[in-house]
Amino acid sequence: MNKALVVDDSKTIRMILRRMLKEVGFEVCEAANGKEALAVMDGEQDVVTLVLADWNMPEMNGLELLKRLRQRSELSSLKVVMVTTEAETGHMNSAMEAGANEYVMKPFTKDILLEKLSRIGVLPMACA
Amino acid sequence: MPDAVSLDVVIKIVESIFQTMMEVEVSVSELALVPTGDRITAAVYLDGDWNGAVSIECSHPQACSFAGSFLGMDAPESVDDDVQDALGELANMIGGNIKSVIGTDIRLSMPSVIDGNDYTVRVCGGCIENKIAFQFAGGTFWVVIIGKEKLRIRELPHAELQEQVM
Repeated sequence: MNKALVVDDSKTIRMILRRMLKEVGFEVCEAANGKEALAVMDGEQDVVTLVLADWNMPEMNGLELLKRLRQRSELSSLKVVMVTTEAETGHMNSAMEAGANEYVMKPFTKDILLEKLSRIGVLPMACA
Repeated sequence: MPDAVSLDVVIKIVESIFQTMMEVEVSVSELALVPTGDRITAAVYLDGDWNGAVSIECSHPQACSFAGSFLGMDAPESVDDDVQDALGELANMIGGNIKSVIGTDIRLSMPSVIDGNDYTVRVCGGCIENKIAFQFAGGTFWVVIIGKEKLRIRELPHAELQEQVM
């Protein structure tokens, strides 16, 4: 089963993303900031195939998390999607340059999310 | 005060967030009443090219209703951590989307939530306040923008921006 890690300091957003991802067949784990996410990845890096990360979080923000993940050669196939209100072109460029695979702006619908996941080839076969 | 164009963009941002995330239709209201009784306010603070705060203010039952719609479940019976988190995320989305259209060098704070019946929200040095009333099936709530300077829209709003750059 595909496993996704949802990283957001808002429990509300984590719950929404968990529900959307579970509906299309993902197993989901959660973290409330970048540091927690790295700890989760230390334990589950073999099974997590997708990270959805907010940008603006305490402790460690999403861009820093993205950069840390991209420094790990063993995670080269990991897909990372930024899910954020940071909609300025400069922010998007920074994320893509740092190795983000996609960028989803809040607010978003399930259809928008699935379209982005489909583009980067991480949707389970039945949903693609 | 924001000019008419700025105000229109803010209204569209709020309407879009409620429709997209909660499937709740909201529209701007001419109602000028100041809310009374128990209420709850979630705010984010912007610092940089524009300095100020963006908040959403509503009654307890409205906040519970928003949380229920947001999370796709029955509305909680009273304000709890989940309701506060949902309202904070609403403020974050509204403030974040406003931030993205007014400047290129603005930092957005984490949301904060104030709950009670006798409080005011002030921004030090903030002198330009705009209260926009919105109505939905559950009544009227407010989006409040307090800033040191006038709001000026510099970029396209979120949905159009997304289509253009991705």
